[in-house]
Amino acid sequence: MNENDSQPRTAAPLALHVAGASFAYAQTPALEDVAFDLRAGEAVALIGPNGSGKSTLLKGVLGLIHRTAGTVEVLGESPAPAGAVGYVPQADELDPEFPVTLEQVVMMGRYRSLGWLRLPGKRDRAHVAAALEAVGLSERARTRFGELSGGQQQRGLLARALASGPRLLLLDEPFNGLDQENRNALVDTVKRLKADGVAVLISTHDLELARDVCESVLLLNGGQVAFGPLDEVLSLENVQRTFRSVGVELDEHTVVVPSHTGH
Amino acid sequence: MDAWGALLDAFSLPFMSRALVVLLVLSLVAGIVGVLVNLRGLEFISDGLTHAVFPGIAIGFVWGGREGLFAGAIVAAVLTAIVLAVLMRKAVPVDAAIAIVFTAMFSIGVIVVSRQTNYVGQLEQLLFGRLLTISVVEVVQTIVICAIALLLVGVTLKEQLFRAFDRTGFSAVGYRPFVLDLVLNVAIALVVVAASSAVGTLLVLAVLIVPGAVARLVTVRLWLLFPVAAVFAAVAAWLGLSLGYVASVGAGINLPSGATVVLVLVAGYALALVGRLLLDRLRAPQPRPAAVL
Repeated sequence: MNENDSQPRTAAPLALHVAGASFAYAQTPALEDVAFDLRAGEAVALIGPNGSGKSTLLKGVLGLIHRTAGTVEVLGESPAPAGAVGYVPQADELDPEFPVTLEQVVMMGRYRSLGWLRLPGKRDRAHVAAALEAVGLSERARTRFGELSGGQQQRGLLARALASGPRLLLLDEPFNGLDQENRNALVDTVKRLKADGVAVLISTHDLELARDVCESVLLLNGGQVAFGPLDEVLSLENVQRTFRSVGVELDEHTVVVPSHTGH
Repeated sequence: MDAWGALLDAFSLPFMSRALVVLLVLSLVAGIVGVLVNLRGLEFISDGLTHAVFPGIAIGFVWGGREGLFAGAIVAAVLTAIVLAVLMRKAVPVDAAIAIVFTAMFSIGVIVVSRQTNYVGQLEQLLFGRLLTISVVEVVQTIVICAIALLLVGVTLKEQLFRAFDRTGFSAVGYRPFVLDLVLNVAIALVVVAASSAVGTLLVLAVLIVPGAVARLVTVRLWLLFPVAAVFAAVAAWLGLSLGYVASVGAGINLPSGATVVLVLVAGYALALVGRLLLDRLRAPQPRPAAVL
């Protein structure tokens, strides 16, 4: 470890820099004027009601949708350097009948660095084993993906993202419908990744979770409501502005928002 | 014993061996491409392609006779494959548009052919193939076209599987699905073209779709799907061709070989389906399980 540990945390390099960014699907504006920074080893929670632009922002960072204004830089580069960003989609969008094993899904995370025509080798298998180990699913490697529980599938998709060794990880509602065991496993993995210097951007409805793993919060509702350190931003007023018509209770320690499981 | 001997004799006849070679090459490639059609759910698109290739075949035939057939078909097929890949980029459902365009193209093909003197005979050959009168040149053309299709799919195979499983995750790591869609569409189109002289444009759909569907019933192991589909298709092709020969030589019943092969494929699918249902029933938990612990 570093002997000289007196440096403030904020000295960590910027993993993601977003300034004045607006995104649109075709001609329809989807999210306007977002600005925030995310440093290596830290996590930002994206919080907002359904349709507030959380997924849009993740896709915007990935470059999958059109940016109409502003800047998005990953590790100081735009577009992001190849392989720098890992993305974990929601598992329930995938076909449970698809004939792949967990191991094969995780191996997909190696394809991009492998390139066309090359088949996975020893090194790739080692990365896959390490990624499965990191999410605690080594013993399920040969199980068909669709036979895993929802929470295990979610962890499997995280392992796929990890197999490519990303410096910035984007998680889209990873904790939706997870039982306590899977939730804890996922929280542990994210904490360990942060300790290794990975920056994490998590979209979630779960304010409790934001408290567990994130330093900062970005509140969204079609645009940016607020961004900053967790304790400052999660005020009753801000949360009410974010969730508008939805009833919100807030006491000193917890924010209770009616769950938006979506299913 | 005699039946086997008769079959061996049959395939020593030049027209029978040519038919067998064409069918084996075709079924191997169609089986492999067909697995991707199945995993991507592209059955409808494939059906559309078979219709769209028809006017190309018809125009090529009218313009250059049997030698022009492949050229016309390839032009039509590649054009259609590109148009389809562009349509698939849009998020909106395009099934109606595809159906309308393709039936329109099919009609154009029928009109083109109908201006020929020997209309009915020509149309029948184009729609249902003429497996037993394939020339050596056509055998070579079929093999070359199949080889290109196989190459297209082979070079992109692991990426095709990734894209089939998770399109969003696939684009998120920086791939462009459009490129892969284009490659797969062209491969499907080439199989349709290759099959058009052997089994005809209508029956090719079975060769493309049934082996992949059978493989899905037989195994859930990803890399087994391809050999299972290819071997199943090849066995069905050989069996269908043999049956047609035995029926016409032995029993005097004239079975069109292309259609016989398709029926063998479908019968194989029915068997696989029944087998799968039985297996699932056997493996299903008993209604009254024994006491736990």
